Amino acid sequence: MKSLTNSHSLPEVLAPAGSLDKLKVAILYGANAVYAGGQKFGLRTAAENFTLDELREGVQFAHVREAKVYVVLNSFLHDRDLTELPDFVRFLEEIQVDAVIVSDLGVVRTVRKNSSIPIHVSTQASTLNVSAAKIWKEAGASRIVLGREVSIKEAGRIRREADIEIEMFVHGSMCMAFSGHCVISNFTQGRDSNRGGCAHSCRFEYSLSPADSLEKKKAYFMSSKDLQGLRLLEEFIQEGIDSLKIEGRMKSPLYAGTMSKVYSEALRFYDEHGHFLSNDLLKWEAELSKVSHRDYTEASLREKAGPDSIFNERENVKENEWKMVGTVIEAGPDLGLILEVRNAFNIGDTLEFLPFRGDAKDIQVVSMADLAGRDVLRTKPSTLIKLPFIPGIEGQNLVRLKA
Amino acid sequence: MKLTSYAQNLFDLGVLKDSGIEEVILGHRLLSRYSKTTDEELNRLIQRARELGLRVLLEWDILMTDEVFEATTPVLKKFLYLVDAIRVQDPGALKWCIEETILPLQFIAENGNHNIESLKGWCELSQGRLERIILSIELARETITEYCHALPIPCEILGFGRILLFYTPRSLLGNLYPEKFAMNEELEVLGESEESPHKGFPILENRHGTFMFHIKEFCLIEYAKDLSESGLAFFRIDLRFSEQKRLTIISSLMAKFDQSKFLEFKEEYPQDLMRGFYLVNKTDILFPKLKNVRLQKREGDFLGEVLEAEKGQHLAILVRNSRGIRVGDKLRILHPKGEEFLIEVRNLRNSSLTEVTEVPSGSLALIPYLTGVWVRSQIFLA
Repeated sequence: MKSLTNSHSLPEVLAPAGSLDKLKVAILYGANAVYAGGQKFGLRTAAENFTLDELREGVQFAHVREAKVYVVLNSFLHDRDLTELPDFVRFLEEIQVDAVIVSDLGVVRTVRKNSSIPIHVSTQASTLNVSAAKIWKEAGASRIVLGREVSIKEAGRIRREADIEIEMFVHGSMCMAFSGHCVISNFTQGRDSNRGGCAHSCRFEYSLSPADSLEKKKAYFMSSKDLQGLRLLEEFIQEGIDSLKIEGRMKSPLYAGTMSKVYSEALRFYDEHGHFLSNDLLKWEAELSKVSHRDYTEASLREKAGPDSIFNERENVKENEWKMVGTVIEAGPDLGLILEVRNAFNIGDTLEFLPFRGDAKDIQVVSMADLAGRDVLRTKPSTLIKLPFIPGIEGQNLVRLKA
Repeated sequence: MKLTSYAQNLFDLGVLKDSGIEEVILGHRLLSRYSKTTDEELNRLIQRARELGLRVLLEWDILMTDEVFEATTPVLKKFLYLVDAIRVQDPGALKWCIEETILPLQFIAENGNHNIESLKGWCELSQGRLERIILSIELARETITEYCHALPIPCEILGFGRILLFYTPRSLLGNLYPEKFAMNEELEVLGESEESPHKGFPILENRHGTFMFHIKEFCLIEYAKDLSESGLAFFRIDLRFSEQKRLTIISSLMAKFDQSKFLEFKEEYPQDLMRGFYLVNKTDILFPKLKNVRLQKREGDFLGEVLEAEKGQHLAILVRNSRGIRVGDKLRILHPKGEEFLIEVRNLRNSSLTEVTEVPSGSLALIPYLTGVWVRSQIFLA
């Protein structure tokens, strides 16, 4: 966290790192901290996650750039898991992770017995009030990731009265249920949703009928819109919120990069100007809209989430008009740009290159070649392509295209 | 093992007493998830329960932001001196009760808390104030037995009743049925989805939010003897969405289990019954299948990943280890489908196609094409 010209500190931007690549992308694009999972103990079983070597490399990469790494241990762990946890915790302490994120008091106690790593209580614990924050603090927590039902004002009060660091979600997909209080997948699909097996039953369309009526209504009534708190950043700052979390370890590098870039640029702007009154706000919002998402809502950040926070639509019906076409692998004035192609594009297309800082660069493709130097008119996914050098564009920059 | 149950009206209390139950769980519309009981009604219920010699447990099981918390505690304070114990689920409510009351406390640890360390932790944090802990119905038989013996206080588990699947403070039905909701302040519908084989989920909305329940109800009556022998102290029967008169049958089955009477009871009960995970909980057995096996094998001497496989030309590897790749290295290439190839690096070029003896981390290394190797194959030092 950096100091501001006024009396408040800037919150850290905490980005999701579903893999080592995404960790690097998030940090290079401005995230102050990332959260990542090992192969066990986290909630994203299907995510790529990190090997031990990758965790070590990720922490080194982050610390060199003054960023932090928090490791999730936020699955609801069973007794047999706790027998395996101490070795992992000691490893995490050895590689100097900055905190672990836990949901369960048993994990808090196990981490404390085996290390001095700071403990953040996960949103899975649905901590919603001052008294709950106090009891977690007594248990040994140094930070609370509040439930998404808490408003920014209430969060500020919790921070002051419980005297503990507060982290809040600022962006991303949301559980409709109190986190940790949904077991639909457990009982209907045999997959423990609180151990990484969520089948997203809340996103299904349901046919509803009252007991006294034959009338049936079809609705996606349990599906939440995505959280977006860009216009509330000043309120987060005023209330002294310590960390702004972006959901999405399963999402793409483009998502991790774009979110890290937008929220960190917005906070830097505030740091310099003391306000958000800028046309840049529209620019940042436009950037957020270029990443696939459900309709946005401020949910309960300002006042209790109402019916307009329900996303009553089929998943994935809205194709995003922007797609990621690739990542710059190498860049140099002599070499040009070598791009790993994820989605095809043509000569004549206008690509948007996202530098780590500053505005995207729109470049029309006038020539491109394969690594052997042969001209290419249309790229193919999973190939490498050479483009002319663009000053300011460097390795690991992301490239997108309007579809 | 003792029975415990709820009462929503004076009739319920009579049934409880007649069934030989010694305590009653009472709710209040502002404190409890499903209760409609007002101040006046709760006062009457408490008074009658006392007359019947029942121990009174007040349920405060909603989850609360501070705004709700502050609206709730004045109500709670009205009844603190009239009840024998308070049951809470929100850790904040637990903390408040420890500091603001002298009553014995019961902690509902039904969500999460699937390890003994966690349950012992809540006992310790409660500074000796917990008189009971309510365990999750996701625990299997052996685990329940182990916990009942390891914990310093008595344990309770739901033995019969609805299975809560989902709890949100948001209004999810009110907008769909505004007239019905305005009339009743509560609405229940049945839901089904083409994406789920289960039909008829009861979904309830009230002032505390929206609740979804399983199509089947939970029933461990036939395992009552097991549970009693396991050291379980309290077996909870929840008939708040059914008919309280069934309590008499259930309590008699609990006292002396009779298979034919139990089957008759099951047959007549309006909902199907299930035992959940009582015999075994395998809800993480599918997890390995959710993951690409290739992604689980990267520990060790991982070198990098193939980004391009240009037939007859080259394999382009993004070098990801700290050491880099060198001529003479022996490589193990793991195909996305699991097939392995062993090769030695004899020819190495960088992205400018210049022959080199090594390529550093973070750069592209080109080695001769190898038939059968695809993009996303992973490279290890052999």
